[in-house]
Amino acid sequence: MKKWMQLALGIVTAIGGFFDMGTMATSAQAGASFRFQLLWTVGAGTLLVIFLVEMSGRFAAVSRKALPDAIREHFGFSFWLVPFVVLTLSQFLVLATEIGGICFALHLVTGLPIQLFALPVAALTWLFLWRATFSTIENSTSLLGLITLAFVVAAVLHHPPAGPVLAGFVPTLPHDNPLKYWAIAVSILGAVLSPYLFYFYSSGAVEDEWDRSYVGVNRAIAVLGMGFGSVISLAAIVVAAVVLAPRGIQVDDYHQAALMLTDAFPFWGFVLFAVSMAIACLGAAVEVSLAIAYSTAQTFGWNWGESLDPREDARFSTVYTGAILLASLPILLGVDPLKLTILAMAAEAAVLPFVALPFVLLMNDRKLLKEHANGWISNTVAVVVLLLSLVLMVVSIPLAFLGGGG
Amino acid sequence: MKQLDLARDVLDKQVVDRDGTKMGRVDGLVLELRGDGPPRVESIEMGFVVLARRVHPRLERWLEGLRRWSVRKTARYRVPWSKVKEVTAHHVQLDVEALKTPAFDWERWLRDHFVAKVPGED
Repeated sequence: MKKWMQLALGIVTAIGGFFDMGTMATSAQAGASFRFQLLWTVGAGTLLVIFLVEMSGRFAAVSRKALPDAIREHFGFSFWLVPFVVLTLSQFLVLATEIGGICFALHLVTGLPIQLFALPVAALTWLFLWRATFSTIENSTSLLGLITLAFVVAAVLHHPPAGPVLAGFVPTLPHDNPLKYWAIAVSILGAVLSPYLFYFYSSGAVEDEWDRSYVGVNRAIAVLGMGFGSVISLAAIVVAAVVLAPRGIQVDDYHQAALMLTDAFPFWGFVLFAVSMAIACLGAAVEVSLAIAYSTAQTFGWNWGESLDPREDARFSTVYTGAILLASLPILLGVDPLKLTILAMAAEAAVLPFVALPFVLLMNDRKLLKEHANGWISNTVAVVVLLLSLVLMVVSIPLAFLGGGG
Repeated sequence: MKQLDLARDVLDKQVVDRDGTKMGRVDGLVLELRGDGPPRVESIEMGFVVLARRVHPRLERWLEGLRRWSVRKTARYRVPWSKVKEVTAHHVQLDVEALKTPAFDWERWLRDHFVAKVPGED
């Protein structure tokens, strides 16, 4: 029974890594511009991400090592240096985006300028990490994160037409504006297949002291946790398609996305949107800050762990402190959160092959994982992810500039 | 006779101290060339400078140049192999106390100058 409490790790990973600022922005854009036609990208992304999360959890449970730790040990420092630097840079952009998301949500509710919130939000995020243990973070974030289910409730209340919704799960070519269509499709896949997501999950599994006996539970957590994130993202597309598309609203500003819930919840919709956004982004900010600190500490072999007192892992705690402080600067300087989001998602898509390749190689190390090494099904998915990530890497940044602005 | 593959089983592995505290990784290995026989593993090395040398000599020189601002007294922390207690699948354990070694220079400095200064941490 205690093992099922670990579902919190799956939910927190999904809230932070799946339904975050990036997914929120792209879902709203997808629904507003192409109605249900892009649902398939979330569907496909979910399937792939379930496999990746399952693999990283299985790896951590069997080897008792998190990914950056094992990659440096097995492939050596010189090999790991480039992926590590690229990964850290992209995580930093994502962190800046999430801080921007929380600031934007506060701006929606109060009407005060976004920049004003940059430092207080950074301080609060930091305080939460400094004070809380890993299980407190897991449990509180996953519990608070349930509020994002508001999107699912709204989607059901709108009675979307079943035919077109189901048809959206089959990939089709757009009637017009193919550049924008593919730009959104790529950023949805980039937002869903966040590299820090499975890096974080494997460190979380080590924090929670998983062992071989968790291999089965891990599979269920991967499906349920990522399924949770997926359902909310799908619901957000449906709501945007029903609410924004008929009115011809294109989401080139987060203010327009904020109208999504006002039809289903006339009075509370606006606040509900802001609260969902703030919590999803806070969860993501916490997750990415930890992911940066985990991968740095593991790369250099420092003492690490969110459950330790900061005095016992001063370098680990300093890394997330510095990361949060630096990441609040773009918002403080007035960078547009939506532009930052698009850039961060393109960066994430570009980083994926660097971090996915060593991961897949490790998953096939029979000396390390024995009978728990990847079978042919997982490896088929792994090859699909690798090929897809190469395509994404090449097209993501040009498409973000050509089609992202809309 | 038990065999140890230095590059696969020792290099880059997590280093822990007597009490299991993580204190770094095996960043380098030093072999001693003896006139009369095969080389012998003299010590393991830890430190950013050791890592930099593995990437590029110039990076090593830059880091050496930065050292005058560094908290770390010894750029290369060498631990003689005689201090190695065991090499397992998970770590290399040393018979030292991490807190008293140069590997913890930064850790100690940050604890005293940053963590301890945070309100509520005393």
